[in-house]
Amino acid sequence: MAVDTTRNTQIYTTWGRKTAKPVKPDVAGKMISKAKRPLMVVGSGIVGDETLTEKTIIIAKKGIPVAATGHSMIVFNGMDVDAKYINVHALAHYLGDAKWKGLDNQGPYDTIFFLGHKKYYLEQVLSGLKNFTDLKTISIERHFMQNATLSFGNLRTEVHLEALDEFIENL
Amino acid sequence: MSDIPTGSISIEDLENVQITIGKVVGAIEKKASDEGIEVGPTPKPGISTLRDWDYKLLSRYQPVYTPVCDQCCYCTFGKCDLSGNKEGACGINMEGHQAREFMLRVITGAAAHAGHGRHLLHHLIHLHGRDHPIDVGPSNLLAPNIQAVTGIKPETIGDLEEVMDYVEEQLTQLLATVHAGQEGSAMDFESKALHGGMLDHVGMEVSDIVQISCMGMPKSDPEAPLAEIGMGCIDSTKPVLLVIGHNVAGVTNIIDYLNDHDLSDKVELAGLCCTAIDMTRYQMDKGGKPYAKIVGSLAKELKMIRSGVPDVIVVDEQCVRADVLAESKKLSIPVITTNEKIMYGLPNRTNSSPESIIEDLSSGREAGALILDYDLLAEVSTELTIKMSKIRDEMGIKALPNEEELREIAARCVQCGACEMDCPDNLPIMAAMKAGAEGDFTKFEYLHDKCIACGRCDQACPKEIPILNIMEKASQKLIREEKGYMRAGRGQISDPEIREEGVNLVFGTTPGIIAMVGCSNYPDGTKDLYTVADEMLKRNYIVLMSGCSAMDLGMYKDEYGQTLYEKYPSKFLAGNLINVGSCVSNAHITGAAIKVAAIFAQRQVAGNYEEIADYITNRIGAVGVAWGAYSQKASSIATGCNRLGIPVVVGPHGSKYRKALIGKPYDEDTWKVYDARDGSEMPIPPSPEFLLTTADTIEELLPMLAKNCIRPSDGNLGRMIKLTHYIEMSQKYLGQMPDDWYKFVRGETDLPIAKREELLKILEKDYGWEIDWKRKKIISGPAMKLDISSQPTNVKRLCKEGC
Repeated sequence: MAVDTTRNTQIYTTWGRKTAKPVKPDVAGKMISKAKRPLMVVGSGIVGDETLTEKTIIIAKKGIPVAATGHSMIVFNGMDVDAKYINVHALAHYLGDAKWKGLDNQGPYDTIFFLGHKKYYLEQVLSGLKNFTDLKTISIERHFMQNATLSFGNLRTEVHLEALDEFIENL
Repeated sequence: MSDIPTGSISIEDLENVQITIGKVVGAIEKKASDEGIEVGPTPKPGISTLRDWDYKLLSRYQPVYTPVCDQCCYCTFGKCDLSGNKEGACGINMEGHQAREFMLRVITGAAAHAGHGRHLLHHLIHLHGRDHPIDVGPSNLLAPNIQAVTGIKPETIGDLEEVMDYVEEQLTQLLATVHAGQEGSAMDFESKALHGGMLDHVGMEVSDIVQISCMGMPKSDPEAPLAEIGMGCIDSTKPVLLVIGHNVAGVTNIIDYLNDHDLSDKVELAGLCCTAIDMTRYQMDKGGKPYAKIVGSLAKELKMIRSGVPDVIVVDEQCVRADVLAESKKLSIPVITTNEKIMYGLPNRTNSSPESIIEDLSSGREAGALILDYDLLAEVSTELTIKMSKIRDEMGIKALPNEEELREIAARCVQCGACEMDCPDNLPIMAAMKAGAEGDFTKFEYLHDKCIACGRCDQACPKEIPILNIMEKASQKLIREEKGYMRAGRGQISDPEIREEGVNLVFGTTPGIIAMVGCSNYPDGTKDLYTVADEMLKRNYIVLMSGCSAMDLGMYKDEYGQTLYEKYPSKFLAGNLINVGSCVSNAHITGAAIKVAAIFAQRQVAGNYEEIADYITNRIGAVGVAWGAYSQKASSIATGCNRLGIPVVVGPHGSKYRKALIGKPYDEDTWKVYDARDGSEMPIPPSPEFLLTTADTIEELLPMLAKNCIRPSDGNLGRMIKLTHYIEMSQKYLGQMPDDWYKFVRGETDLPIAKREELLKILEKDYGWEIDWKRKKIISGPAMKLDISSQPTNVKRLCKEGC
């Protein structure tokens, strides 16, 4: 049965009037599949969480380039995926620069999605991207991210994992 | 005119007439001239004076804005939605507004320190007179920040008044630019923020050198004593007087009163935040053991109050919770405010008799009092503490629930998730509550160190569950074991220490200075500080501590039961751990960098800020870490470092400062400087990569620190050492060789010896560098060459004449 990730979009404070649209896993997965240059930005939150790590690697193995931020690189080493370490704040800066050729020198990205980040930290990164770039950003985190273009709502851990499975099926 | 000296003059034949001359226009400049001190091109710079320097920094390190709010609500045109970088009704766009907001934080922080400095200066001049000499230890360069910025070489505490006049005037001018409309350029707001940061270090320096000079604090003393720290070191069987804040002025009177009345072993004096640090420095310049004990940082404030242990609380200024009175009232703890910055609506009892105040507060007629006279404060707070201890014992004040009550309270939880959503770190409170309802409170123990005790969870809970109290009660065993040692703040780095270590820092054989400063808003608990400091100390970096970080570092012990303060010596040498002191002692960190330029490199200091900053930018491998930065003061401290070219990493919460300054390593044009020998352009390595940025975790932070200590001036041995640490820490914490290590290689001698052959092979195979394998030398490939006599500078005018 499809997981509904759009119900709870409660926020505890607001950045302003522009708010992410809640998105379902299948829609998010298909959007990533259709993107010309997607980028998965992974945070340190996956380190030590075996299930989340496993799912993240499955996504990366679909051929999606990975920006391994924080110390998440530790889980990608030797996994035969296209992952590179970068600081997430620096990444947010470079993503807004038309001259940046990407982590692999292959050109700019068009759709960025996020997994494994601290909620407050990612909201700030997304706030920068929302206000100063035209990039499409998708959050597939456990918490609703107001500053993304599209985001899963607030989910219990087990529901989040189910949602990720459905997201993967649609990649 | 300036031949008239300052000070007091009696006139012959005129009995009872004394003329006091406070300030003579031009006197300090004349004195500088008489003493052969040259004053550089920018004494007392105005807002635009160092703008060119700022623009040089900002062209390499561009502002990255991450707004906390998409709206501007400064004026009644608004509020205006600026999302998408739109302009508001006054014409300012999102970038400009964010830069303005950041600058406002910086000048707020600078004003807090400067206000503190002015208050101390007034107070200590009143006690000791304007002619009291500045004595900060065995140094000639007594006030490096003050001299570099203002050109003034202060010798007495009275000389500092003119310095404060300058800082206050500039802060007022900066604050004026916040008014609606006016400045529209984000870059100029950034320049103004850098100006405010620079002023902050001047204000902090005034604060600390005046208290060191007059309060008997350690003077550049590597043997400063160890002070007890931790909630567990407080003896709650005695009457407990808790002081909270940053300004130790009134507390020194309390310490004197306790000593004078033979009460020092009868009353437990405990402190929170920087007041706690500074009271362990008081009268310690001749040795001894600090009598006062440190509870900890701001994160312990609410926990300490709710423990019910304090019998009286005295607050002064800055990082003090706004609800201290409200929280204390619940537990019958009288509160005394002592500074105009915090008055909590309490009656001013400065002119009342001690007996009447003690009667009103001990009877509960008044919840507290404002007392601005420190002798009165000392008597009232001490005697009231003794009295309240008995009264509160008799009242049977019970602060925390018992275990049975705990379980009942936890069972009220409906698992709605409001607490977790409101928690700044989204800590797993619901799971702890669920386990607690079943009698298992171990999950709350796990939360104890991670929790910053802000109390937002309590406010959010629809069932009014006192979540923080549960955590504290469940963690009683841990709290009892929270006992450690912090080395009392030693103050400035002395001139002889700089003479000894300066060369190692400039050539990189001491791999760098890691300055761990700031507050307690940690992303993952306090132990991370210990891990970072220990790793860097083992690798021979100099680690400087200050403020809340200095306190929290002392809370952890190694397997032999030693804190890092006990384990590592505290000279200004490689592998040493130094606590400079409280928040305002941060000026000694930038001061040390200025001293290297002045003493080791013989650069002119007075009024010569740009040249000094340029020297530091290119030569001194120092990185600041404000891992738990939360306050406006942390932003001003960091920004003051930034104007000197010292990069700062803040923890992930620091992203809420709204802006970072980050360079683009792939934009090679920005990584060039002049060689001052002939004015030619020379490429430099992309380090520091940023002036202000965030890191997600300490595992990310550690390799960042190593990399960003690399500087153009490194000798081959220094570069080899720095590169070794960068590679090793990347492998240890990220599990891989860094992608960009080769960018820092100028020749084979820069390569770590143990890995030289392996790395030469990689350079040949992956990067196409040409290697002479017989001699194991690099023939071609590096983007820059090793030239130990090059003179990197960002400032064209500093190149030799004719360039």
